[in-house]
Amino acid sequence: MIVDTIKSVAAVVLMAGIGATTASADILDTIKERGKLIVGVKADYKPYGFLDTSGAIIGIEPDLATDVADKLGVEVEFVPVVSSNRMQFLEQGKIDLMIATMTDKPDRRKVVQIIDPNYYSSGTNVLSLKSLGLKEWDDLRGKPVCGIQGAFYNKATSQEYGAEIVAFKGTAEAYSALKAGNCAAFVYDDSAIVAKTNDPEWADYEMPLPTIDDAPWGLAVPLGEDGFGTLMSEMITDWHKSGRILELETKWGVANTPFAKAMNEKFK
Amino acid sequence: MTYKTDLPVMLPVTPREAEPFLRLSLWHAIPIAAVCIVGPSLAFAADGIAILSPLAVLANWAPLLLKGFVFNLVISISAMGLGTAAGAMLGLGQISPNRAMRGSSWFVTQFFRNAPWLVLLFFAMFLLPFEISILGLKIPFPDWFKAILGLSLPVMANVSEIVRGAVNSLPSGQWEAAESLAYTRRQTLWLIILPQCVKRMLPPWMNLYAILTMATVLASIVGVSEVMTLTGRALSAEGGRPELLAPFYGFVLLLFFAYCYPIARFTVRLEKKFSVIT
Repeated sequence: MIVDTIKSVAAVVLMAGIGATTASADILDTIKERGKLIVGVKADYKPYGFLDTSGAIIGIEPDLATDVADKLGVEVEFVPVVSSNRMQFLEQGKIDLMIATMTDKPDRRKVVQIIDPNYYSSGTNVLSLKSLGLKEWDDLRGKPVCGIQGAFYNKATSQEYGAEIVAFKGTAEAYSALKAGNCAAFVYDDSAIVAKTNDPEWADYEMPLPTIDDAPWGLAVPLGEDGFGTLMSEMITDWHKSGRILELETKWGVANTPFAKAMNEKFK
Repeated sequence: MTYKTDLPVMLPVTPREAEPFLRLSLWHAIPIAAVCIVGPSLAFAADGIAILSPLAVLANWAPLLLKGFVFNLVISISAMGLGTAAGAMLGLGQISPNRAMRGSSWFVTQFFRNAPWLVLLFFAMFLLPFEISILGLKIPFPDWFKAILGLSLPVMANVSEIVRGAVNSLPSGQWEAAESLAYTRRQTLWLIILPQCVKRMLPPWMNLYAILTMATVLASIVGVSEVMTLTGRALSAEGGRPELLAPFYGFVLLLFFAYCYPIARFTVRLEKKFSVIT
């Protein structure tokens, strides 16, 4: 009886001790101890992160995450995130690393540690009927414009240019609404729109406006994880230097973006 | 009980089979679903585009969507189990002779019964931590588990009302008769009242389950990878082709219909079987 009590007390103390050490340990040690890197990626954003028919998450960003896991010598696990919960997951420690098409913004840098240099970049543009003859962003004033829930440019489009944003859950719904004529234009990332205008099914549509908000994307680690941050910074530099980003763009069927080319030149 | 008699008025009543709406029966679902899914696909197939037809695309994704649907069922069954256990206790609390117990049970029941399910789900999602640390031992609290907890709250409140209603619906003579036979309150409840209530509670309980099953898609809004979430992801993986929307969401509709409609039919049968002949 007494022996049992001592044993259980010892176990409790031991467990508490383990708990304390893991809490204060560097995230890199935690990852290695666990043998698994948990990365938050998009699962509904082709080609940066999307599902294959088996339910696995694939795309440019999962490939980048796998590179990081290989470098650390651990397994990789993907956690699907959306724009509204990705920073929360990182803060909570649910994911170790976030590569989720996030635009690098000063206010986001206060919540998570965005790593320099930026790994990617994209701008905002609209897809609309050629016959509509849009010339500039102000032409959207008062018109219904389809968008995606949680995208930061919805606000800019409605406030600066007076468009009425109709926000949808996914791209399929937004494209469908555009085709059905429910909105005059669809505001989205320029890289995706360029791909769409090359599609014969969308031959009547164009990307008529100058791209705005060309903003870099940042991958992020939890605040205060400087060791992991430095490592990631080196990884990104390496990706640019070796042309890995360009290679992945080609692999996943995206035309090489000016940003990726420029970064490749810069670091070569 | 039947009597040997020639008088038609003394013969037992054979109630007429209830007519389903528009005389639809289960097998009618198949052509309806076929129209839902194939119809729009045909319209687009006429364009003659050299990409996979919507139905072929759907066939590719069907196994994954089915897996997601099984997850919905797991959520619904677990939430129902938890909610029923908690709701039964709460319902008994509502008929307790203790005033404070009765009052607090009534309040909890009314509070959760009159709250939107989605709001309760959001509360469970964002108020609970993703893992709890007990003595350094980390117990993960995954999203699907939070969804189960969130959905079991309204189920609990509804079951509580079902229990209270069933107990109150029994003629008070049952209580009085039991009392006259010197049964204690607990004995009366367990041996006389509740066994009679089970029959009365079963049909509304099954209705509630069917409603809960259909409500599990709400979990997609809070990021659980169930069938609606997977459908959205599958659609964007296919590049957001508008002609896929109808077949994909039609398929999800069909899955839920195929699961919930038999439950509804079975409930009708039970209701008929258990209906109190007066």
